[in-house]
Amino acid sequence: MSAPMEIVLSADSAGQLWNCAVLELHSGTNLLAYRGGNTSSRSLTVLNGEYILGAQLGKNFINVWEIQRKDQLQQKIVCPGIVTCLTASPNGLYLVAGIADAIYLWEVSSGNLLAILSRHYQDLTCLRFSDDSSHFISGGKDNLALVWSLASVVQLDPSHTPEPRHVLSRHSLPITDIHCGLMGPQARVATASLDQTVKLWELSSGEMLLSVLFDVGIMSVTLDPCEYYLFCGGSDGGIFQVSLCSQSLSRDKTFQSDNEGNQVFKGHRNLVTCLSVSMDGTLLLSGSHDETIRLWDIQSKQSVRSINHKGPVTNALIIPAPANMFLPDSRPGIPLPRFSRHLNPSEQGEGVETGGVCLRLAPHTQSVFGDGENTKVRVSELEEEVRTLKKVNKDLYDFSTQLLTKPS
Amino acid sequence: MTKCKKKKRQDDFQKVKLKVGKTKPKADNATNINFRTKGINLTEQLKKDANAPTTHRKLNIKDLLSQLHHYSGTVKQGALVGLRELLTLHPSELDQHLSSLLSEAAAVFTDKDPNVRMSATRLLRFIAQSVPAERTSPFFPLLSAHLSCAMTHIETGIQEDALKVLDVLLDHYPALLAARPALLLTNFLELISHRSTGGGARKGQEGKGRSWALSVNPNRNMTGQQWRLTVLLRLGRFLQAVVEERRAEEGVACVSGDMFSVLNGQGGANAPLELNWEELTYRKGGFQVFEHSGAMPTPHSTFKLRPETEPGAGVSEGLGTGEAVRGFASTLVPLLLDVWVEASASDRSKTDSAHLLTPDAMSLMYQVLSILQLLRKLAPQREYQDTLDVWFRSEYLGDFKQHFMKNFPYGNLDTPKQRRKTDPKRSKQATTIPGQTVEPLALNVLLCQVMVSMVTLSQREGQAQEPDAEWLMPLRGFVQETLSSGAKLSQRHLHTLLETVWRMVITQRSRAVTEDLLQAVYVQYQQMNLNLQTRTLLLSFYSRLYLQEHNHTHIARSRVLSRWLAALPLQLSQLGHRNPALSDRLLLSIQAAASRGNKALLNSLHTHACRLYDPQEGSVVLLPAESQQRLVQLLYFLPVMSQGLLANLSRCCTAGRVSAGLAASLIRIIHLRSSLSGWSVGSQDATLRDVDYISFLFSTLTGFSSDELATLQEAGDESVLPPSPSPPQPLPHPLEQFTHHWDVVEEVCHCLETLGSRSQCFDVLQNGICKNLTGLAVIPDSMAAGLLRAVARLLDLSFLPSEPLLRFLSRCCLSLLSLLLTLQQDTASENNHKREAVWGACVAALSSIPRLLRLVLQSLRVRDLCEEELPQLAQILSLLLQHTALRNHMLANATLLQHIIQDLTRYCRGESKEQWMTDLLYCYSVTMATHRGNLGLRDIY
Repeated sequence: MSAPMEIVLSADSAGQLWNCAVLELHSGTNLLAYRGGNTSSRSLTVLNGEYILGAQLGKNFINVWEIQRKDQLQQKIVCPGIVTCLTASPNGLYLVAGIADAIYLWEVSSGNLLAILSRHYQDLTCLRFSDDSSHFISGGKDNLALVWSLASVVQLDPSHTPEPRHVLSRHSLPITDIHCGLMGPQARVATASLDQTVKLWELSSGEMLLSVLFDVGIMSVTLDPCEYYLFCGGSDGGIFQVSLCSQSLSRDKTFQSDNEGNQVFKGHRNLVTCLSVSMDGTLLLSGSHDETIRLWDIQSKQSVRSINHKGPVTNALIIPAPANMFLPDSRPGIPLPRFSRHLNPSEQGEGVETGGVCLRLAPHTQSVFGDGENTKVRVSELEEEVRTLKKVNKDLYDFSTQLLTKPS
Repeated sequence: MTKCKKKKRQDDFQKVKLKVGKTKPKADNATNINFRTKGINLTEQLKKDANAPTTHRKLNIKDLLSQLHHYSGTVKQGALVGLRELLTLHPSELDQHLSSLLSEAAAVFTDKDPNVRMSATRLLRFIAQSVPAERTSPFFPLLSAHLSCAMTHIETGIQEDALKVLDVLLDHYPALLAARPALLLTNFLELISHRSTGGGARKGQEGKGRSWALSVNPNRNMTGQQWRLTVLLRLGRFLQAVVEERRAEEGVACVSGDMFSVLNGQGGANAPLELNWEELTYRKGGFQVFEHSGAMPTPHSTFKLRPETEPGAGVSEGLGTGEAVRGFASTLVPLLLDVWVEASASDRSKTDSAHLLTPDAMSLMYQVLSILQLLRKLAPQREYQDTLDVWFRSEYLGDFKQHFMKNFPYGNLDTPKQRRKTDPKRSKQATTIPGQTVEPLALNVLLCQVMVSMVTLSQREGQAQEPDAEWLMPLRGFVQETLSSGAKLSQRHLHTLLETVWRMVITQRSRAVTEDLLQAVYVQYQQMNLNLQTRTLLLSFYSRLYLQEHNHTHIARSRVLSRWLAALPLQLSQLGHRNPALSDRLLLSIQAAASRGNKALLNSLHTHACRLYDPQEGSVVLLPAESQQRLVQLLYFLPVMSQGLLANLSRCCTAGRVSAGLAASLIRIIHLRSSLSGWSVGSQDATLRDVDYISFLFSTLTGFSSDELATLQEAGDESVLPPSPSPPQPLPHPLEQFTHHWDVVEEVCHCLETLGSRSQCFDVLQNGICKNLTGLAVIPDSMAAGLLRAVARLLDLSFLPSEPLLRFLSRCCLSLLSLLLTLQQDTASENNHKREAVWGACVAALSSIPRLLRLVLQSLRVRDLCEEELPQLAQILSLLLQHTALRNHMLANATLLQHIIQDLTRYCRGESKEQWMTDLLYCYSVTMATHRGNLGLRDIY
């Protein structure tokens, strides 16, 4: 069997058989299961394609598995409080967790706790990164969603408390879910709330683009990759599909009864807590408190498959299959360090290295704006510089050898 | 004869002898000049021009325009008056000749004759009133050229009148004027000062050297001070126009000018789409969320490209850049300071106390300050505002402190009144200058604002703030005193004062100062009889302050602020329905604080919750729908829900004074807060006990309080006396109430379904019904239908319902069925929904509980019924027989059915084989036949 392209990762709050399961997207066959504990909602995340992390429900630690060793818990990251939400940046460099009303940001490579952001007034419910890892959005029970720029958060300036780039404050009840679209800083963000609305925002300006009012509170939201549709999971078990672009060729649609593709997926009987769309935008995954996850065909709005769980589903997501997952012999590229619990490790006497945040650039970051001509000029300048330096060095060497070997 | 001839010839050429001393005889051809001439002035034409409309002098527009080139002043003035008349009579002429009209009228701004100029101004005002700005804009360069020509004219009279023209333009076309401010600003400067020539001054410019100096023109017919006041007034208005235009360009409303009016930043230029799911599903046309199909970000993105152009320096560039503003300010501010010094110095010579000012000086100073304030706002982008502030502080703080603060609380000098009356000429001038009277309060308040804006936000505390604190003391004292004196302040003063307080609180970062200032504002807030605007202003001041607290600990810890917050719920409940707008404001603040988990507010909300959510006179039923929704959402944040509150809420849901949708969301919110919902993130203690929650659900499900039911029983007793075994009397209810209750029941059922174990849940429900409801003789139809619906939805197959419950339900069912028959008789379409609901509830209950059907059939005792009731019974039976879902269950009770039918046929006395009887028999035989057929088929296989 060839390795699957996309997999479903799901977890429930009972955790009787396993903590989280990996299913094949199209066939629904159970591929793997990671055991030990259970995972609280919106806290299951894959770090860099090498580790799976999930916050333990009601406890103050995070379970970590190496992605190929499914049976053995690799590590427990002990946190200062109960983790309510957790996410890792897509480039695998940072880990963000919501603990009570504060956001904790760790650097994965060193395990340092880089920042504790306490701008929320009540418990956090959701954290999401933008796809280029440049921003992350946090939503809480204080009706606020905050947009943080990662660069401004990690900077080392003790006098300067990091401020969110935008405060999205138009919800009137707790935020339940956030989805961040593609395109980095130009992405659009969808937020769902108990106040029965889903709002669509622009990340770059923080302005609201759209607000849809429903009849029931919305517990989860997602967009398809093309952002044609907005999927909203209601607290009564319905999944509402809002079409974001109008196919305005109404000439040949006059006899069609369904209008603009705004329809409801019916099947769940309780809160729909998680939604996810496959890469090609044809399949929708939903997890619900009625202890099932369902797979829907978006085009025909039918339930393709329903998989039973033992407890309310806390996490269900479709992700591209990590390469290491099905290779039992593989090893993670870097071992996970110990994650520190305090802001400044040197004060606690834990860490060896003192001061300074070691920032590591992702391997694939390239200067997007540098055009060829400029780069060439710059390279030749630098080469020139190196040559001069070498010459100076050689002169110095000659001089000193002369001086030393000169018979005094 | 010849002699005679000769004589005659001599007669012809007679010599006239002139003698000395005698008057010279008049020549024969001399002209008699003894007549007098009178000119005939043809002011009007005799002929009528058929083509174009004319004035009463029969002059058309071309004649009038050509007369403007006449050398005589009176003719020109007459033409201008005529033009005005013509345009009032025939407004259509204005459209056709606007270009020539404006150019000709503008040309006479610089006329030598003051009357002509005055008429020209009047004409311009008339045109401006009737032509919108966008149609004047093509001619505006011409107008402004003539205007600046007039402003820089060498004759003082023309300069003065140019200001009147400027007034007209400022009134009607402020945006057009503000679009190109460069030239006008220099003109203003030249009006009150002159550029000192010579290279020396120019070189010393880096220091305090100045190239402009105030000028005095002794030829003017007003004093130098008055002249400056008139100019500064116009300059102030002009700058105001520029500031406003800039704000409109930016499209952002959050500039400090209206900082308190916009609460939650809803001032974005592109309004977001607000949609409703129901509308969305039913409407045809789609909507477009992403402009340019989402490829480009909106212009409000915070990611900005660097500007390519280098910022230039100097006034000549206009006010487009921060540099330009700074350049202009560096020219203007010294002049303003000079004006100020002059105004205060001229006073000192007259009086002993330096802080008392004449009205003239007062208004001059007021203008100086307001122009300073406007200069600050001129910064083209908000980023430059701070740099501009810093620059102001570094350049002029010393000067400002020295001049403005010296005699700070300024007062009014009363003496000049006497003298003015004796001098009619002066008093006449005084009336010509607008804005003459400025109260000392306005001056002082504005001074506070200007000075406070000089305090910049510094990152470090301590030493940098020390020097400021010194000169801020008197200001703070004044602000505190003014606010807490209890006097009523006008809207504008209050706004300025609040902005001052705001700035002080933000910049000072000291807890004591904050506390004092806020206390002073609180005194204002507590005043009685404030009008709505003032009240709203104060409210938004506090709520904005509260929203700012996150990075100012001294604000967060302020006791006044928390007292204010704690008082809000009480105010809301006291306000009732009297002022919905204000209630909405209050609610916004409460909601913000509640969502942040503010302890003081939540406690106070908890104490007042019962009053707020009272089903009779609580705010939740009195306020408009939008506020109701906010109130309901507020429930989520309540720390504890007491039993009494839940009882109130349940009554709110069922009483029908809140909409069904809102009631549903109320139930949902309470569901979420209960520990049974299962939705919780992190540690969250349940706010209500499960017992309370379930009893809330149950009382909402029944829809009637026990008192109401009791009164219903009594009422029922009076009208009809039903014997106890007979089915309970269904009380037909108004349709809206029924639908409302039906929607609520659906929501309650959904909540009950998701509670967890179904059988336990049903057990609880059964107990509730048995204890509270089975004894009732009269129950409302909505309640009966709701109960049946709930039972059908909740029943678990494994669970066996108890006997009393079933008996009660069977009675409900029977009475509902008979109600259904009466409903079917009136064919009004609005009853359709109710009919379907009732029928659906009955069928669902009967089909899910077979024993219920049996009980219903058993209770159909034909013998006990009188003759009129028989047809009804038969119809019920045929209805049940016709329904496919029930057919199998009916067949299970075939013997019972047979008995009933036999009884029926016996009792209905065969003499009238009526329609209902035949129908019933037909239905019965069909059912039986299919049954037998099925049996037969089964035998075959």
